[in-house]
Amino acid sequence: MTAYGQNETRPTYPAHDALWHLVMMGVLKPDHRPNGWTLPAPARPTRVALIDTSVARGHPNLEPALNEALAFDLFSTRFGAFPWREPDVALGNLGLGDSGALVAELPHCTALLVELKKRLRPDRMPRIGTIRPAAGPTFSAHGTAAAGLIAARPAREDALDAHLPGATGGRITLPYMGVDPSAELVPISTNFDPDPEALILAFLYADLIGADVIVLPRILPDPLRTVPELPAHDIAGAAFADAVAPSPLGQAQWEMWDELAQLIVNVSQRRPVVCAAGNANEEFGIYPANLADDDNGVIAVGAVNARGWPCSYSPASGLTIWGPSSDGERFDRAEIRLDERRHDYDPTGVPSENANHRFSPFSLIATDVPGRGGYATTPFAGPESDDGLREYGSYFCRFGGTSGAAALIGGFLSLGLSLGQWDRAAGGIAARTWLLAQASPLDAGRGDARVPVLGGGDPVFPDDSTP
Amino acid sequence: MNCLEILTEARFTVTEVALRLEAMEATFAAAATGAPTGGAALFALNRNRNRNRNRNRNRNRNRNRNRTDAAGPDLAILEPWKERAKLHELVADWIDLPLAPPPEPDQLRDEALELLEKQYRLRLPEEAPRREEILTEAELELSRYLRPLGVETSGGYEATSHLMLVVMALTDEIGLRYKARWNLPRPNQVEPRLRPFIAQPAHASYPSNHSFQSFALAFLFCRLLPEHPASSELFRSARRIAENREWAGVHYASDTQAGYELARMVTPVLEEVLEPLMLAAQEEWF
Repeated sequence: MTAYGQNETRPTYPAHDALWHLVMMGVLKPDHRPNGWTLPAPARPTRVALIDTSVARGHPNLEPALNEALAFDLFSTRFGAFPWREPDVALGNLGLGDSGALVAELPHCTALLVELKKRLRPDRMPRIGTIRPAAGPTFSAHGTAAAGLIAARPAREDALDAHLPGATGGRITLPYMGVDPSAELVPISTNFDPDPEALILAFLYADLIGADVIVLPRILPDPLRTVPELPAHDIAGAAFADAVAPSPLGQAQWEMWDELAQLIVNVSQRRPVVCAAGNANEEFGIYPANLADDDNGVIAVGAVNARGWPCSYSPASGLTIWGPSSDGERFDRAEIRLDERRHDYDPTGVPSENANHRFSPFSLIATDVPGRGGYATTPFAGPESDDGLREYGSYFCRFGGTSGAAALIGGFLSLGLSLGQWDRAAGGIAARTWLLAQASPLDAGRGDARVPVLGGGDPVFPDDSTP
Repeated sequence: MNCLEILTEARFTVTEVALRLEAMEATFAAAATGAPTGGAALFALNRNRNRNRNRNRNRNRNRNRNRTDAAGPDLAILEPWKERAKLHELVADWIDLPLAPPPEPDQLRDEALELLEKQYRLRLPEEAPRREEILTEAELELSRYLRPLGVETSGGYEATSHLMLVVMALTDEIGLRYKARWNLPRPNQVEPRLRPFIAQPAHASYPSNHSFQSFALAFLFCRLLPEHPASSELFRSARRIAENREWAGVHYASDTQAGYELARMVTPVLEEVLEPLMLAAQEEWF
């Protein structure tokens, strides 16, 4: 293949169904009808806790899924704030469960649980003093995308015809959904401070509110477990992890990171904890995906593209499960997988024996922050109108990575529970067993990668295009 | 009506440039819209800024190839009057955040002993890099923040640098107001054997503004770019900067901690004040 000259036209990317991932997972048929299921209406909706950035309110596909009373922000308030509750109305009874057994022999977690339960008492207010929650919509892109992949519902919304061509009749149809359109989503937002306290509180809160599935589409910055090789090294007589740290961690911090790891495993015994496995081919996944094991309910999620190959950034083995996601390019000793349709693709130096045929340009489409902010922007200045949508392009975005795949697997588990296919009382290991029973290995040469298909069977990969 | 039926009325198709909304033939074929076979097509042509795969690190666009590594970004900004005005509109949200008062004298004397130990160790050969850092960090500079982000010498991140400088300007004022409230003397006024390694700033000790400002940047950037691999590293960088001020003998450890806590609490206010600048900075990354 040659490079495209300045005046040459390159081939276009194939158009594709925005819900291809749901068809691939057997949730929808190609005509977008449910594949052998009806919309579940369980007595208690399946509750999915999303530990991530905050989630934007005001998205028509997402709004019905959000549990606005339980959304919890640990970014700016040490023991958390409720961003969407009336600030001057006490919490009332949150219906919390008992997490005492989770923290047995974990003294720091025990102390934090005591403080958290005090903070969640019925007479406490949603916010502490004048501290605002850090949950504004504009910078909530990652959580909004993950939330939509899990639990968005098809929607209709008022539209401002002047800016939308075609006869909308004052309403616009937004035919988008997440894997489980009956799920209830509870955003638990944290910051990225490498301090385990907020993360411990996030998992404790998810357990207290009785989440059925926990989705964690991010890395946790544990100083040792992020790079599991670190503890085995020392340098000049000092532990390598200490030697490379810009500031030494105190004893309490080391202990809390250890406790967090145990807490995640303990929580996963009660409910599956679905973790993104990383976007840099990390062996066994990033932390805490790399806690996944047969005797716990931590689920490490890799990514498979629309052609049925593990995405270039995702390991093909050593994880629990793989979900659909957007692909990426790669050019290193292990694999050469380049996008030959890219406008500036240059074949110079690309060996003729390559894996370019594995690359898929299909994108995972997710919900995005409406209007300004988010991954997809709007042509309109200023805030969104209350009178209806002026456009819908900023309401959706391309998403990807194992974050996207993990959100889809979390949604898949949620749908399975909503349909009564696994028992919430049976815990995280039973949930993982059900999940794996839905998945068959891909073709030979694709490692251990397997994608779950509702009801079992082989996934149908939609991208059969050739550049 | 079951909301799933909506999926059979229309569908989104991803094209190279748009997310196309197409009515399904069964519903809209031959409708008055005059649409071609296959359904009416509404369009969206919004630019997708990111495929979000944590790959937005270090794109190194090198727009300013002639700039030397040492020059760094231009640190001179106009007074951010617009942002400062907005900050003052929201004064009730940041002037009385629940920051604990400074520790009692006994604890400060204990902390001062730790500073004495740091003072001794700072003069050892192995702490030469820290001495250099302290001198660099005594002046306004951004390398400690830009370097983890991978854009210290890259062009094309002017809005990112500008945002950092405005954060510095606004947090400087906020921090000074909290310092004035308690007017805590600097450590060497409690422990005269402390000989600060650098000139002692002419304002109170608690909270540490170096800590507050550095952590404020870290908190704000993990709202702006949570996917960036450096989102946690900025916190480590901030802690190093803050602790260097303890090594220099100009701050207690409790000043550092207070700066951290204030930064965490004030971030949502900064986010509202700085939203336009944050969006401009985000454009450089997505």
